[in-house]
Amino acid sequence: MTEFAIEAKQLVKKFPARAGTGDKKTEGESSSTPKKRRLPFGKKEPKAMFTAVNGVDLQIERGEIFGLLGPNGAGKSTTIRMLCTLLEPTSGTAQVNGFDIVKRANDVRRSLGTVLAGERSIYWKLTGRENLEYFAALYHIPQTIAKKRVEELIERMELKERANELVEKYSTGMRQRIAISKALLARPPILLLDEPTLGLDPQAARRVRELIAELKQEGHTILLTTHYMEEADLLSDRIGIIDTGKVIALDTPEGLKRRIDQKEVIRLELTGWHDDLADKLKSISGIENLTTHQQGEADLWEVNLHAQNSRTALPRIVESISGNGTRLVNMNIVKPSLEDVFIHLTGKALRD
Amino acid sequence: METNFVLFQPTLVTQFRALAAIVRKDWKQYWRYPLNAVSTVLQPVIWLAPVYFMGKAFSINGQALGFAQYSGTSDYMSFLILGAVLGNFVNAVFWGMGYALKNDMDAGVMESNWLTPVPRLLILIGRSLTNLSVTAVTSFGMLIVCRFVFGFHPTGDVLKAVMAIIPMLIGLYGFGFAFAGLVLIMREANTLVDMSAFLVQVFSGADFPVTILPKWLLPIALILPLTYGLDAARGLLLKTNTLLSIGTEVILLVVFMFVMLWLGSWIFYRVERRVRMLGTLGQH
Amino acid sequence: MTTQTIPLTRSLGRPNFLSGWRALWAVIKREWVIFLRYPSWFISLFIWPIIFPLSYVMTARALSGKDGIGMAQFQAATGLHDYTGYIAIGTIIWMWQNVVLWNIGFSLRNEQLRGTLESNWLSPTWRFSYLLGSSVPQLISMLMFLTVSAIEFVLVFGVQFQGSLWLTLLVLLAAIPSVYGLGFAFASLVITAKEANAFVFLVRGLVMIFCGITFPVSILPDWMRPIANWLPQTYIIHAIRSSSLSTDGFPAIAGDLKILAIFGIFWLTFGYLVFNWMEHRARRTGAIGQY
Repeated sequence: MTEFAIEAKQLVKKFPARAGTGDKKTEGESSSTPKKRRLPFGKKEPKAMFTAVNGVDLQIERGEIFGLLGPNGAGKSTTIRMLCTLLEPTSGTAQVNGFDIVKRANDVRRSLGTVLAGERSIYWKLTGRENLEYFAALYHIPQTIAKKRVEELIERMELKERANELVEKYSTGMRQRIAISKALLARPPILLLDEPTLGLDPQAARRVRELIAELKQEGHTILLTTHYMEEADLLSDRIGIIDTGKVIALDTPEGLKRRIDQKEVIRLELTGWHDDLADKLKSISGIENLTTHQQGEADLWEVNLHAQNSRTALPRIVESISGNGTRLVNMNIVKPSLEDVFIHLTGKALRD
Repeated sequence: METNFVLFQPTLVTQFRALAAIVRKDWKQYWRYPLNAVSTVLQPVIWLAPVYFMGKAFSINGQALGFAQYSGTSDYMSFLILGAVLGNFVNAVFWGMGYALKNDMDAGVMESNWLTPVPRLLILIGRSLTNLSVTAVTSFGMLIVCRFVFGFHPTGDVLKAVMAIIPMLIGLYGFGFAFAGLVLIMREANTLVDMSAFLVQVFSGADFPVTILPKWLLPIALILPLTYGLDAARGLLLKTNTLLSIGTEVILLVVFMFVMLWLGSWIFYRVERRVRMLGTLGQH
Repeated sequence: MTTQTIPLTRSLGRPNFLSGWRALWAVIKREWVIFLRYPSWFISLFIWPIIFPLSYVMTARALSGKDGIGMAQFQAATGLHDYTGYIAIGTIIWMWQNVVLWNIGFSLRNEQLRGTLESNWLSPTWRFSYLLGSSVPQLISMLMFLTVSAIEFVLVFGVQFQGSLWLTLLVLLAAIPSVYGLGFAFASLVITAKEANAFVFLVRGLVMIFCGITFPVSILPDWMRPIANWLPQTYIIHAIRSSSLSTDGFPAIAGDLKILAIFGIFWLTFGYLVFNWMEHRARRTGAIGQY
């Protein structure tokens, strides 16, 4: 048995580029073609490939919670899909629980509990209990153990009163709990959770996070993808930041934050923002990155600037923004957060 | 800084423009699924094939004399092809109009449409116009194919026949408004639509002269307005025996048209109000 | 808290010979339960067997004319003077294939649209079980449908079944592999097709034109008859007509049964191979789960 729960070596996944697929295009490595034109005499254009994952290396220790963080289109979902054997890599290898994902795919599936699409992954015309009993059989759990396990999970997820109602009548939070229970049925050593709190209200999301922490205590290894910074920060033992198909940073949350310790983040709150101000501010020496975020509907903008030295940058900043209808409402110098680490590494906000 | 907000007032011109926009959108959307369009032309031809061969099995020296005894013509294929045209329109109304609103609801665009200040019925009218034109085009295509495959020999006055069925078609689409509303409030409408579309075709005589029906089923055929429309068209084009005189039948169709337009709109508005009260618009 | 947790390395699953069957049974149960929860099946069960053949039977009635003057050729070609049973059987077999194409043929695609295909695919169960499993409840409901149809033909249309029930059941048994094998192939092929409906229309259209659902195949022009000979439904219809309406017994259907056996093996194998092909392709291109 290998030491690592999950080990990936240079995983690459390329898809044939389809015109107008609506896949979010990533910058850098991708080479998506414009609409294919029919060449005369039936000559075919060389097939263009779109690289979703471009050499991902991972080593996830047993018993740890590993957070995979990245924006949409970064390759998170594709990586997860390769690890849980839904997709075959174009090149590279990976072992999950010691089994090769291509050659021993079935053994990999036995070792995994996966939550991918949340409420869509269960049968709405079956009850919560029926769903769990069904999937328990698919995971080859012996009947007596299965029965106990189903009841255990229903109890744990606080679904006892409604376990015999059709899932179509559940709330999103309840459906998510059934989906998570489904992943836990076989008590698999490794859990893959793809955006487990997406779409949940804060209270439900909090319960899920508590559950994840409990599951770690119970001995599960967890690979979690998310684009909620605080969640990754809170839960993960280690975080891998993925962007344009590559892991661009891998460390503990503190380790990552320490990387930009020397940098400071100047947070401005302004009214009357206009876009050419962005260029003006970026041109100030010492300013490395800038992101803007509109607060609600009011004309109030939050601008975050990464600066080498805030003291020297400050006067130039104030000078740049005064006039032309822009007003500074508030200003703070803050310690970098994980979001800032991300911006520092990729030049864009996680929400993009 | 103050801004003056102007509310755009609807006028007859703007209503027409909205209508045109709806028609254009639906027309474009339809032809983006070319395979479906092709199958709409070919499907009726396929459904005619078994009767074509069946007819041959019942012919004497290639003549369907038995058929002529009941209908007044031995050209059973032309008789049935006209029935197929009616079938096209029935299916187009039941499925196309019936699901016009439900499909929008499922795709999530209904709320966007519903929130515009266009009268709801106008949206349905726009839909109907596209539906009617598309079905006319595909039916014409079907007639051409049928002419080559089975032989289609209308000997009468085509123009008169087309004019005679116009009130029937308008009435049919009026019914479509009501049907659209009905489908909207039902959860599983598929079986109902499937069965009723089929039954309407059968009982309006698309596949056989209604006089064939056993006595106890005949009344069903006689209360369907479509029966008379098809009968009139056949009478004008193929010189078949008609149930009533063609003039009477046309008058019936005109009455049907007015009744259906009124009834269809009324039912639609009642349903629409109910939907608004119950708030089921965005739900699936 | 510094209690050292020992990480898990094994799941609770114990795959063995029995567990594979239990998984298949779970799929069957699931499909059956869901099927019963859509109430409209009940109406379809009782009404379609009457109304669908009705239209053809009425047309035939018109064609045969008053005093049956049009019957001569029909009788000569088929040896029967009752066209009702003849037509009813042909149309029912067409309906069977049609329903299989829609239900089984779209089963994987529908699961994919709903999102549950991925869940199933993630489990360590043999993937063909899903197709096999979902066809069992469908088959049971079809058998109910065929039984109700037969009863209704007698009561409503006055058909006289002079043949043998056992022989008819034998033909059905021989027919099942072809009908469902085609459904399996279909399920795998349409899973990512854009306008999948058109394919159903095409296949059921072929059956409608060539298999003699309302007419004897001998009526077809020479160039069309070979095509009819390549469609299993032609033999199913011919054999059931013979076994249920006539007293000709086993010898009359022996040839059909032999051919159906061969077709059955072919279509089941083909269905399985296409499924495997689709499954491998999906793993490379990610077609599953991303619609």
